[in-house]
Amino acid sequence: MRPDSATTAHLAHHFESLEKQQHAARLGMWLFLATEVLLFTVLFAGYAVYRYLFGPDFAAASRSLATWIGLVNTVVLVTSSFTVAMGFHRISIGDGKGTRNLFFLSVLLGFVFLGFKYVEYSHHFLAGELPGRYFTSTVNAGPGAPLFWALYFLITGLHGVHVVIGMTVLAVVGWKAGRGAYSREYHVPVELAGLYWHLVDLIWIFVFPLIYLI
Amino acid sequence: MAGSVEHEEEERLSHSHVGRYAIVWIALLVLTLVTWWLSRFHIPGAWGVAVALGIASAKGALVALFFMHLWDQRGANRLVFVTSLVFVALLVVITLSDNATRFPLANPPGSEGALPLAPTDYPGGPPVPAPRDGPGP
Repeated sequence: MRPDSATTAHLAHHFESLEKQQHAARLGMWLFLATEVLLFTVLFAGYAVYRYLFGPDFAAASRSLATWIGLVNTVVLVTSSFTVAMGFHRISIGDGKGTRNLFFLSVLLGFVFLGFKYVEYSHHFLAGELPGRYFTSTVNAGPGAPLFWALYFLITGLHGVHVVIGMTVLAVVGWKAGRGAYSREYHVPVELAGLYWHLVDLIWIFVFPLIYLI
Repeated sequence: MAGSVEHEEEERLSHSHVGRYAIVWIALLVLTLVTWWLSRFHIPGAWGVAVALGIASAKGALVALFFMHLWDQRGANRLVFVTSLVFVALLVVITLSDNATRFPLANPPGSEGALPLAPTDYPGGPPVPAPRDGPGP
């Protein structure tokens, strides 16, 4: 196949065609996402063990979380995932400005998520429910309570870091899309940025029931 | 070679999926509300955990298949993701079953079936007894 001018600009010389290049990029992203899944799984496995060992303490500590914050944040993240998917659709029909607007909307939803996180964190900071030796709370203070709060801050904190990274990626890619950097034929960065954000959403879908509901 | 698998993948990805995205989004919102609503009943024992994780897995599958396009992609990407899920299962199940099948005293004090806690093990614990005189044990 003779590549046309739109595709040659983005084709690295070691790839036979843009399609092969994009397939390789996608596969690489999935490999990275697999490592991310395993990174979070370590924390989930720790949570599973200590929840098994200290069931009543974990249930009591989980009940003292504001469930509505978790619920609202789930709705916010799921919606932002939808707007990112729609942003990907816009660039696949060649509408870079539409992608920019939808990605910026997703970043805005990311800020809403972090805002609720701030409200929640500051409450538990003041309640002394911090990890390790900074744990000073005496409410629900079974032996498992400090472990629950340590895992709570580790899991939601690591997830929060991923939200911030994802927002940065979406903002940069969205801005470039608005300036016409991508086209119908070449928009693999938009797709990969979207994949990352969907993974952040996917992780939260499991964090929500584990931390807030059970 | 335009008729390659890469080409087919690009073809499938370039179709419009707006309707599909909207349906998945609504399904995710509904499942979120359902899992929150069910959690208010405090389903006893392991069933509450099973229901919550079952719904979360369904939501995760919707995101991975349709938002992340695994539904449309060829084998390699699916294989990578499924492999990571296998290792998730191994890591969680083996670690958990280790602790669950131990001689109870091998688990940390104060946990399921293990020794009771020493008084100073956690804040708000039982009062510390006065130190005894004389040499230690």
